[in-house]
Amino acid sequence: MLIEVFGPGCAKCETLLKHAKHAVEQSGGDHQVVKISDYATMAIRGILSTPALAIDGQLKSQGKVVSSDEIAAFLKA
Amino acid sequence: MSENTGCECACTTGKPDAPRPSFLRRGGWVLLALPLWILLYAVNHRVSEWIAFGLFKLTPKSHLGEAVAFFFYDVPKVLLLLTLIVFIVTFLQTFVSPTKVRNALARRTPGIGNALGSVFGIITPFCSCSAVPLFIGFLRAGVPLGVTFSFLVAAPMINEVALGMLFAMFGWKIALLYAGTGLSIAFLSGLILGRLKMERHLEGWVQDALKAPAMGESEEETLTLTLRIAEAIQGVKDIVGKVWPYILVGILVGAFIHGYVPESFMAGLLGNKTWYSVPLAVAVGVPLYSNAAGVMPIVEALLGKGAALGSTLAFMMAVIGLSLPETIILRKVMRPRLIATFVGVVALGILLVGYLFNAIL
Repeated sequence: MLIEVFGPGCAKCETLLKHAKHAVEQSGGDHQVVKISDYATMAIRGILSTPALAIDGQLKSQGKVVSSDEIAAFLKA
Repeated sequence: MSENTGCECACTTGKPDAPRPSFLRRGGWVLLALPLWILLYAVNHRVSEWIAFGLFKLTPKSHLGEAVAFFFYDVPKVLLLLTLIVFIVTFLQTFVSPTKVRNALARRTPGIGNALGSVFGIITPFCSCSAVPLFIGFLRAGVPLGVTFSFLVAAPMINEVALGMLFAMFGWKIALLYAGTGLSIAFLSGLILGRLKMERHLEGWVQDALKAPAMGESEEETLTLTLRIAEAIQGVKDIVGKVWPYILVGILVGAFIHGYVPESFMAGLLGNKTWYSVPLAVAVGVPLYSNAAGVMPIVEALLGKGAALGSTLAFMMAVIGLSLPETIILRKVMRPRLIATFVGVVALGILLVGYLFNAIL
């Protein structure tokens, strides 16, 4: 699965990126984590507040730091 | 014991007949924290006097004694108030999302749109690092530029935590004054900026991004009460954990003013008879980067020393509402002329508020 973390680079975005990587390590599946800090891309994807998280192109959350357990749950679904 | 383990097993496997977690586990313990909060708040004044005059054996009414008493009174008071207010505010904010606000503001006419944008700006959860995606997202959805500005001015200027703190520390009149004047500035500056037709002063890549087709939308999640309380607790941890150094610095400055600065000096500098007191307050306030909670002890000490209300409000709005970091972030989407107009209109509004209240109060 493709996990995208959106954020300009503030502390919260880095935390979310860490959680995403951690969730991938825990689940052990074939997943890819990408960090996107380009504002134009965020705008086109309909993101209004950062950090945001998308899985396989689907926005899962925005404006908060999702825990790695929650991300792992998204990966199983 | 066997019942407990049985429950946990059922919960983790997610069987539909799993018993609901107890009231306390679902966040009810927060209600038990309330009596403790009230007790601490009630004894705070006596404890602070005991520390300053009993433990440290300082003389009441002396410069140092008054400063130390102010410090030990304000640290627990501001932290307690902040915890309660952030909890309530974060809980309420789980009902509002930028996406909902954007949809409510899309294609509104000027006037009504500016009024709604200003009001939503108060309560919408918003951090300055999200200012750019939010700005573009609003414009893309058809929220007019002027309405977007009303929102962007109101969001930092009428800080929901500051509003709660003002209410708790100085009463409803000052809180209402702060909200009312902030709303007026946001409403009017958005209306003016909308009239100036400054869309072409957006950066080129923003204008391109506005035309690009959308790629899917996010789904809105519905939250249970337990999750809302959990978010409120997380909000308290995040915010109080982040702002306590600002509060300590603010209280140190406040304690110094309270103990050492003579009343005649402050009344001369920031009083309502001095014509330059309002611009001075704004000029000092803008480069100061603090947050709502950190500036409260300074406001408390200034008012206590006879500074005029208009000058003090102007100072507070300049510190909270016009912050350098946010201006730098917004510079990414706006060309210099637009950003200068934006800062100019807001600063002018703050000056007007200061003079108005110094004149009528």
